Amino acid sequence: MRELSSETNTATDAAASVIEVANVTKTFGDTVALNGASLSVRRGEIVVLLGLSGSGKSTLLRHLDGLEEPDSGTVTVLGEPVSTLAGKRLRALRGRVGFIFQQFELVPSLTVLENVLTGALARVSGPRLGLWGYNRALRLAALGHLDRVGLLAQAYQRADTLSGGQQQRVGIARALMQNPEILLADEPVASLDPESSDQVMALIREIAMDQGLTVVCSLHQVDLALSWGDRIVGLRHGEVVLDTPAAGLSKAAVMEIYGRVATTTAELDAIATELESARATDLIGATAESAR
Amino acid sequence: MTLTAARPRAAARSGRPSGGAGDRGTLEARAPRRRLSPEKIAAGLTLVALVVASVVSLVSIDISIPQMIESWGNAQNFFERVGVISFPEPGDLLYLTALTVGLVLCGTLFAAFFSVPIAFLAAANTTPGRGWMVAGRFAGVFFRAVPDVVLAMVFVLMFSLGSLPGILAIGIHSIGMISKMFADAIEQIDEGPRLAIRAAGGTTLQEFTSGILPQVLPSWVATVLHRNDINLRGSVILGYVGVVGLGLEMSYAFKSLDYSLGLGIALIIFALCVVMEIVSSVVRTAMLGFAPTRRSLGDRLLRRLGMRGRRVDPADTSAASAALARKMSRADARTAALRRPWDAARRRNTVWGWAAGLVIIGSVLISDIQWGDFVTFWGYLPETAAKFWPPSFGSYDAPTMIAAMGETIAIALAATILTIIASIVIGSLAARNVAPSPRVRSGMRLVLVSIRGIPEIILAIVLIVVTGLGTQAGTIALAIGGIGLLGKLLADSLEEVKPGPEQALTAAGASRLQVYAGATAPQGMKALIGHSFYMLDTNIRAATILGLVGGGGVGYFLLNAGQGSRYDLVTTIVVMILVTVLVVEALAMWMRRVFR
Ligand SMILES: Nc1ncnc2c1ncn2[C@@H]1O[C@H](COP(=O)(O)OP(=O)(O)O)[C@@H](O)[C@H]1O
Ligand SMILES: [Mg+2]
Repeated sequence: MRELSSETNTATDAAASVIEVANVTKTFGDTVALNGASLSVRRGEIVVLLGLSGSGKSTLLRHLDGLEEPDSGTVTVLGEPVSTLAGKRLRALRGRVGFIFQQFELVPSLTVLENVLTGALARVSGPRLGLWGYNRALRLAALGHLDRVGLLAQAYQRADTLSGGQQQRVGIARALMQNPEILLADEPVASLDPESSDQVMALIREIAMDQGLTVVCSLHQVDLALSWGDRIVGLRHGEVVLDTPAAGLSKAAVMEIYGRVATTTAELDAIATELESARATDLIGATAESAR
Repeated sequence: MTLTAARPRAAARSGRPSGGAGDRGTLEARAPRRRLSPEKIAAGLTLVALVVASVVSLVSIDISIPQMIESWGNAQNFFERVGVISFPEPGDLLYLTALTVGLVLCGTLFAAFFSVPIAFLAAANTTPGRGWMVAGRFAGVFFRAVPDVVLAMVFVLMFSLGSLPGILAIGIHSIGMISKMFADAIEQIDEGPRLAIRAAGGTTLQEFTSGILPQVLPSWVATVLHRNDINLRGSVILGYVGVVGLGLEMSYAFKSLDYSLGLGIALIIFALCVVMEIVSSVVRTAMLGFAPTRRSLGDRLLRRLGMRGRRVDPADTSAASAALARKMSRADARTAALRRPWDAARRRNTVWGWAAGLVIIGSVLISDIQWGDFVTFWGYLPETAAKFWPPSFGSYDAPTMIAAMGETIAIALAATILTIIASIVIGSLAARNVAPSPRVRSGMRLVLVSIRGIPEIILAIVLIVVTGLGTQAGTIALAIGGIGLLGKLLADSLEEVKPGPEQALTAAGASRLQVYAGATAPQGMKALIGHSFYMLDTNIRAATILGLVGGGGVGYFLLNAGQGSRYDLVTTIVVMILVTVLVVEALAMWMRRVFR
C-alpha cells in the first residue's frame, strides 16, 4: 500500500498534508502540556520539534500515534482522525507510523531479531512467541532492516548486551519493520554519547530520504536541529512559537523560542550552558525512569 | 514518565510566594509532608498492638528452657526406642521419591497455569478494570487462605485414592501465592517496551506476550521453583490425610509405632528438600544470571562451571559475520543469517528447554493421574457437598472452638515474633551488603537453606517427642521453620536496596554498623513489615496443620472432625481459618499501603 502510493502519487502527494494537528490542548492535572498547538506536515518533510525539556514535545508526538487523547482539538494522521479512533483501526494506523523512543524501549531479554520482529505485530494476528512465531519472509525482512542499520551480525544477541547507540539502531530497525509512512522520533539521541548521536541522526535522515518517509523528530539541541532538519517547529509551554524552514535560520533567532534574544556572545554562551543542563536534567530523569 | 523529573519543579513553582504570606507560610507550603497522618498513627499503633499480643502469647505459651532440657530425657527414651534408622526397600524408595516429586511438580504447574490469567486481571497495569483487579487479588487471597491439607481431605473424599487429590490440593492452594507473585512481577515491569509494541500497533494480547512476558519470565520461573520447594515440604503433611507418596508412608510408619522407619523416611524427605532447593537455585541462577547481575554464591559456582551467559563479542561464531567475512552478497548474508547459530545461549536454552520438558512429562507419567476421575467426580459432587453443608459445631460448643482458634492464633503470633527476631540477625548477616565477610554470608545462607529444607512437620514431630505434646512444640517448630523463609526473604530484600545511600554513608566515614542502621535497615524496613505479615499469614495456616500431629489449637479438632467424618465441623473450622487469614491479609494490605 505504501509502495503503491509513494510510487504513483509522489508528485501529487508532495502537497498533501499527512499530519494535521489543529488547536490541540492537553493538560495533566494542573500541568498544561499542550496549549492550542497546531501543526501541518506534508508528505516527505523532515521536521524537527525543538523545545526545552517540559515544553510538550513528547506529548505532541504521542498524540500523533494515538498514545494520548487530546482534551480539545483534533489530530489527523494519514487522513485518519487519530483522536477518535479506537481498536482495530487505531492499531492499523499505528502500524503505519513508526515510533523511535529516547529510551529505545527494547525488551532487554529478547534477541535483537525478536525485538525487530515485534515491529510486524500489527500485520500478523494473535500473539507471537519466540523467533519461530514469525514466518520466514518476516524474519528475512527483519534481517534486511538489521542489515540496513548495520547490525546484521548482532541479530541473535540479547538486546541488553548492545551499546546505547546500537540499541537505538535496533529501535530504528523495529520501526522500519512496520513499513511505516511516517517516522516519529522522540529525542532519539538524548541518551547517547555525541559520536553515536551523530551516527543515529545521520541514519534516520538517510533512511527517510531513501524511502521518502515523513519524519517528525523532537530535539533540544539547537545546533543539531539546525543542521539536521528541513523545517524547525519550536515549542514553548505547549505552544508553537516558531515554524520556519531550517535553511538560513541562525542560532540566535532560534534562541528566541526560549524567551530571550541573544545580543552578546556571552549571553549566547549562557544559554548554551542552560541548554546543556536541560539536557543533563533529561538524562537524570531518564535514569530515574529506568531505575523504576 | 517525565513526571518524576518534572513534578518537583512544578511543585516548586506553585509553592512560590503568592503574596505577603511571609517566609514561614512559604516554607510550610513548600515543605514535603512530614506530618504523620492519622492513618499512619493508627497503623503504627496496630503494629505495636500486634507485637504486644505476640509477646503476651509467647509468655502464655510458656516456653521454658529448663523444661526443655528436662524433657531431653524423653528424647533419649525416644531414640533408644528407635534403635537403628531403617529405610524402605530401594525400589520402593525410588518410586515413592519420584512419585512425591512428580505429584508436587504437577500440582505446582497446575497452579502456575491458572495463575497467569488471574495475575493478568490482578495486576494494576494489565487489568481490564478496577473490579477485575479486586476480583483477581481476592481470588489469590482466597485460594491461599484454604490450607492444602483441608483441600486434600475434601478431594480424597471425591476422587478415588491416587495422586489426583494431592495434585489438586497443592495446585488450588498454590494459585494463591503464585498468582499474587505473578501479578506483582507484572506490576514491576518497565512499561517502555510494552508502550513500543502498542505504538507499533500491537493488540493487548500481543503487548502481553511480546512486551510483558519476556520481562516477567525469569521472575515467574523463580516463583514457580520457590513454590515447588514449599510444596515439596508441605507434601509430607498431605500424607497424613491420605495423599500418596513419602508422606503417607511416613505417617503409616509413625502410626504403627515403627519409629525407625518413620525417621528414616523423614531423613529422606529432608535430603530431598535440600536437593530440590539446590536444583531450583541452580535453575534460577542460570536464568537470572544471564544479564550481568549478582555475585551470589550460586552465581560464582555457575560461572566457574561456565554456565553463565557471556557477553557475546562481535566476532562471535554467528553465521552472519562469518558470511560477511567471506564477502557474500548482502542478500546471501541475510539468508544465511536466517539460521540461528548454535551459540552458547541457544545451546543452553535448548538443553534447559528439553530438560524441563522431560521432567514435566516424567512427572505426569509417574503421577499416573486417573483422568477418568474428572468425569465421575461430578457424580459424587452433590453427595460430598451435602456432607460439608451446613456447617455446625458438632458435639462442641462455640466457645470451645473459638478458644481453640485463639490458641492457634497465639501459636502463630508467638512463633512469628520469635522468627522475626532471629531472622533480623541471621537474615542481615546473610546479606552481601551487610555481612562482615563473604564467609559469614555463605555460612548464614547455608543455615537458612538447611532450615528451609526441614519440613516443619518433621521438626514438629521431633520436638513433640522431645518436649512432649503441646503448644510449645508447635510454636518452636514454626518459629524455627519460619527463620528459613523470613531470613532468606529479608536477606534478599537487603541485598536489593539501593546501594547509593550506603555508599554515601561509607564515603562520609560511617562505620559498618552505622551504614547498616542508617542506610540498609531503613530501606529494608518496608520489606520486613511486608514479609512479617506474610509469615504470620503462613503461620496461622501452619499452626492449624501442626494440630494434626498434636501441636495444639484448632488443628486437633480439624483432624478429629475429618477422621470422625464430621464434615460439617470441618466446614466450620475451615471458615474460621479462612476468616482469620483474610483479616491478617487485610491488615497486611493496609500496612503495605500506609508504610509505602
Ligand atoms: N503522563 C503525564 N502525567 C503528568 N504530567 C505529564 C505527563 N506527560 C507529560 N506531562 C507534563 O507535561 C509537560 C510536557 O511534557 P513533555 O511533553 O514530556 O515535554 P518534553 O518532551 O518537551 O520534555 C511537562 O510539564 C510534563 O511534566
Ligand atoms: Mg520528552
